[in-house]
Amino acid sequence: MKRFEDRSGFGSPLQLEQLVRRTSRADATAFAMLYRQSAPKLFGIALRIVGNRDEAEEVLQESFVAVWQRAGDYDAQRGSAAGWLVTIVRHCAIDHLRRRARRPEGRKAPDELLTSLASGDRGADRSAELDALQRCLGELDEQPRRAILLAYLYGFTREEIAVALAAPVGTVKSWLRRGTERLKRCLDP
Amino acid sequence: MRYDNPELRDRLAAEYVLGTLPSRSRRRFERLIADDPALATVVARWADRWAPLDTATPTEPPPPRVWRAVAARTRSRPARAPLAHQWLASLAFWRGLAVAACSAAALIVYITVSRELSGPPAPTVVAVLADQSGDPSWIAIAGPQRGEVSVSAAGPQAEDPRHSFELWGIAGGAPHALGLLRPQPGKAATIRADQLPPPGDLLAVSLEPPGGSTTGLPTGPVISKGKVLLTPP
Repeated sequence: MKRFEDRSGFGSPLQLEQLVRRTSRADATAFAMLYRQSAPKLFGIALRIVGNRDEAEEVLQESFVAVWQRAGDYDAQRGSAAGWLVTIVRHCAIDHLRRRARRPEGRKAPDELLTSLASGDRGADRSAELDALQRCLGELDEQPRRAILLAYLYGFTREEIAVALAAPVGTVKSWLRRGTERLKRCLDP
Repeated sequence: MRYDNPELRDRLAAEYVLGTLPSRSRRRFERLIADDPALATVVARWADRWAPLDTATPTEPPPPRVWRAVAARTRSRPARAPLAHQWLASLAFWRGLAVAACSAAALIVYITVSRELSGPPAPTVVAVLADQSGDPSWIAIAGPQRGEVSVSAAGPQAEDPRHSFELWGIAGGAPHALGLLRPQPGKAATIRADQLPPPGDLLAVSLEPPGGSTTGLPTGPVISKGKVLLTPP
């Protein structure tokens, strides 16, 4: 799996996979190494979604407790270890947001965050995948693109997107549906 | 809904990964994924399409207290612990799962078909009581002794000195009081297993005056309920 290269902050994919496998055998040393290697990246993702450090810490804690308990369920055939970890953290963060009424405020507009993520990732080995994703997102109309980015980057629900973009929920649903369809056609020609 | 339509499958997978499926649809979709490896692949493919954004998200070192908390909560999964200890560890596991609600969801996608047979002993879940939004709020587990069931909060409950949490069995529509619950996670109330309603009937928690209902019937709002899943051993 080449989804996350070394520069991504996850360490080498093979090593990560091995650490997850050892964690599944209750190897506490491997688990500590797994944490050391992946927690900063995962904390960054949790922070992006929940919007404040205290809650991102909670999400990270819950996620790693889950990783320890469920590492035996990880199957390398179905995806990279980094992808598995990100999926856990994203779902945990989204659930966390849905359980509370208050939403984080004062965040960057989604287009602005996308631009800053893309420009921050500027090394010689800058990922072609990110270029492609940014280009394909750029081909969407403005409102559908914003809707999709609010969802992925910040964990917005359909209703929250509707409020943020001053559109009916039904319209948001069709933006999400048609937007993701177009995105897929653009990404896998 | 028909889940054999490829366009529908792809659309649901896209929204699942985007995170915009409403909680209930999401749980339903997760159950589908668990039984449908091809669908799991469609989901993984969508996750791949978005991965570059997560890769580009800046890293941020978490404060050391997060690891201390994780280490404290994961220290107790010993291979050969005294039975009581093991039982507690299993309980902590389920409580963690319910509170987080984050683990089951994500992990199903990656679940291996053949599981190891020699895992740690799993607790016998007798019932999971959900609040109005469908989130687990109380959990009933067989034990610690044979013939007993422990009921505890699956997450911190709003404590208010003006009321108590009372557990009811509702067999054939008729409620009977089973006792007061303790709102702090980790503090279980133990009830006799033979007082439970039969599998398929309900357990419910209502808000009552301090000390519980004096009428023998629930007087306050029912805040949580769930079906009895099995007769405890």
